[in-house]
Order: sequence, then structure tokens, then C-alpha cells
Amino acid sequence: MSLRHYLTLVDTMARLSLKADASRYFFGYIWWILEPLLYVLVFYVVFELILQNRREDFLVFLMCGKLTFIWFSKSVTQASRSIVNGKGLIGKISVPKSLFPIAVIQEGLYKQAAVFALLFAVVLGSGYAVSDSWAWLLPIVMVNYLMIVAGSLIAAYLVCLVFDFHVLVSMGMVFLLFVSGIFWDPRDLPDPAMTETVLALNPLAFIVDAYRQVLMAGVSPELGHLLWIGAASIAVILFMLGLMRRSSEYLALKVVTS
Amino acid sequence: MSLASERGAMPADSEVMLELQDVSHHYSSRRDSFDHGVHHILDRVSLQLRRGETLAIVGRNGAGKTTMLRLMAGIFRPVSGRVLRRPGSSCALLSLGLGFQDSLSGRDNALLSAMLQGASKREAQAFLAEIQAFSELGDSFDEPVKTYSSGMRARLSFTTALMTRVDILLIDEVLSVGDAAFREKALQAMQARISGDQTVVFVSHAEAQVKKLCDRAIWIEGGQLRAEGTPKAVFEQYRPGPPAGKTA
Repeated sequence: MSLRHYLTLVDTMARLSLKADASRYFFGYIWWILEPLLYVLVFYVVFELILQNRREDFLVFLMCGKLTFIWFSKSVTQASRSIVNGKGLIGKISVPKSLFPIAVIQEGLYKQAAVFALLFAVVLGSGYAVSDSWAWLLPIVMVNYLMIVAGSLIAAYLVCLVFDFHVLVSMGMVFLLFVSGIFWDPRDLPDPAMTETVLALNPLAFIVDAYRQVLMAGVSPELGHLLWIGAASIAVILFMLGLMRRSSEYLALKVVTS
Repeated sequence: MSLASERGAMPADSEVMLELQDVSHHYSSRRDSFDHGVHHILDRVSLQLRRGETLAIVGRNGAGKTTMLRLMAGIFRPVSGRVLRRPGSSCALLSLGLGFQDSLSGRDNALLSAMLQGASKREAQAFLAEIQAFSELGDSFDEPVKTYSSGMRARLSFTTALMTRVDILLIDEVLSVGDAAFREKALQAMQARISGDQTVVFVSHAEAQVKKLCDRAIWIEGGQLRAEGTPKAVFEQYRPGPPAGKTA
């Protein structure tokens, strides 16, 4: 399969799935924005109204974290089951197995474009101005995307080998939600060494923080660390694509006989 | 979809489209199922398929017919032995059942199937009107496949595979459902393809269909070729036994 055909297929599968999804719901495409907003609302009620968070700009702070985290968590969770869900097609045609997670990620990417537009509108509407540092958004989004692809390929491969892994994937997302500074700020931790540890060891916490630094503080992220995360993600992606290619028939057997 | 031959080249005879050399296949399913979880499917099976030939595979349910087609299509890799396809030849497995995404319309599923079998998006879109007409699905073509009856699914499945041109067509029981009128139409369309250059492997329990369509037949049982020859000769030896509790 040529790369061009592969990419056309990814795009077609993503679009068809979005269309089918939209036709199933009464609110259709509105859910792209509505669902993440409802998540933000839930967290806002808990942390701002009930727990009385003292941050002035908590809503913007929360949206920067939650809206980017959902992109990661939903993509990886859905991609993790995509090969297994492709059972029908996999039993009939010899296709690259990576097609399934990549198509799911593409679907998420189209939805996320609308979510980002909403996020930027809220940031600007809340009195923040566009600064030079906004140029950093492009590399940050790209590295974020690479992390999603790397995480999805690993999760999809493992769920294919042992279906039980999907439980761990869901649980892992809850863990990441708590440790990545989505509703709390790693920079507010009493121990500065702990702040450094969180941002250095958890790439997701680093990326979420980078969005906030750019959008809210007008500060550019640490380039070296961003590049390092991007390079590590690319290495994982290449390794996983190679692994899926080599074990394509084995994965088919696993999926068909599961 | 074009599949390059694996591990070794085809023999010099240019008319051989597909060859199985000493192919053995088994797989383990969940523990504690039966036979310690190991299913023996094929045991050192060799055969050749030539251009334009129509080969029937007969055998009881669970004998490994569908697995054999999947090995031929390159979906599975044999545990030992080699499956060689003519370099550059395309190969499609046509079977019923799953293979559709239920929430997508018949049109979108047909588009996706054609593209997965190697057609470009433009080519695939060009097939759609033909597929809609032949399948007689009418307005249902734009409804989600989950609303289809099994007969409608069979029509869509058969028509999509028929319209996308491939060098080697592997057919798994697909002519056995649908209403009588459509079955007759499908059989005729199939015969038109077979009488040309089309190379076909055909799995069926329908003796009359096999005798009508195929040049040669093989009977597999217990992982081995039990008989090979004209459909008439093979059916004389093959008497379908009781089902083994699972479908092939």
C-alpha cells in the first residue's frame, strides 16, 4: 500500500466515522464542542464552586488543561480498541493494522480543531492578548499529536495481544488525569523540586503546562524538553509501526480468533 | 490489494497465480477449550492455482476452509511452509457476515471496501452507482448497514466484491444466501467473470453450484487433502459428515 493511498484511507475512514457519529446524535456535530465543555463544567462545579478554588482565572486555567487532556485521553482510549473493533475487515482483507488506530486519531484531530478554536476564543475573550509566544502553539500541538500517536499505537497493540489491557488503558487515563496537573498547577506546589520532577517526568504535565505558559503567561516553553519529547515520541511511533508491520498476520490471527 | 509474494519467488511457470508449498497451520485459542487449546487446521498441504482456473474447496464445517482462504489472501501467515502469490497480483476474500461497519451507510461501506481492496478514492466512487444498481438496494443504500436484513447485507457484500476487479477472487459461501432471484443473478454474474480470465477459489457446500462453476475441486479433512480432481469425482468421495461444532 502506497503512503498516499494509506493517508487517503485514513482521511476517508475518519470522515465517514465522523459523519456516521453525527447522524446518530440529535445534536450531531454540536457534541464535538458540547462534550468537552460539559467535562469542563463538571470540574468547574467541583473545584471552583464546591472546593472554592482561589485562582482568579480558574476557568481559563481549567480549560487549557482539560480540553487538551481530553484530546489525548479520548484518542488513546478509542484507538486502543480500534484494531480489535476492526475484526470484520481484518478477517477479510490483508490491511496494515496501524490504519485503524491512526484513523481514530485523525477523527479526534478533526474534532480537536473545533475545540482549539473554542479554547482560543475563550482565552481572548477573557482579556488575554495574542503575543509572540503564540507562535509556540504550533510545535506544542505537533508534539502533543506525536504523543497521542505513540500512546495509541502501544495501547492498540497491547489490547490486540491481550484484550484485558483495555481495562488498564482506561485506568491509566484516570491516573494521568490526576497526575498531569489538569485541575491543579504543578507550579503552585510547595516544593519547587517537586514541580521540576512532575514537569520533567510526565510529558503530559509538561505539555499542558506549556499550553498555559504560552496562552496565559506569554512565556515560551523549554525548547530542549519539548524537542526531547517529540523525538522520543517519533522513535516510539517508528518502532511500533515496524512492529505492527512485522506482526501483521499474527495480529490478524489474534483478532480473528479472540 | 496487491500483495507481494513472501519468502521466495514464484516458479518459472508464469501461469501459476498462487501456490501453497507444504503449508501447515494451527493456532491456540483460549485455554481449556479443546485439544489443549490448539486447533490443527492444515498439515503440510501443497497445491497450485493457475490463471483462469476455478478451484472448489469442499469439507465439513470446521475443516479449515476459511482459514485456507485467509492464508491464500495473506491475512494469516502459515506456521510453516510457504504461500506464494504471483508478484503484483491482487487478491480479495469475499465472505459474508462481518466486514461492515454497522453505523455507516451501505454506500460508505462499499466505498471503504473498494478502497481497502486497492481502488483509489475516485475509482471507488465511480463503482458506487453500479453497486447500488446491481445490489437492488435502492434508497436503503444510504441507510446505515445496521438496519439491513441478512439478505441485504449479502447483496451488498457480494456486489461490492464483484465490482472491484481483482486477479484472484476467494469466495467463501457467498452465493448461498439472499432470495432466489438475486442468487440466480449473482450466479450468472459470477459465471460471466469465471468464463473470462478470472482466477477463483470457491468454498461451497452447494454441490450443484460447484459442479456448474468449477474446473477442479479439493476436499480437505483433518488438515489434509483427502481428494483432488474434477468436482464430480471429488463429490463422489466426499460425504458431508456431522458438523464439528464450529464454523470453518
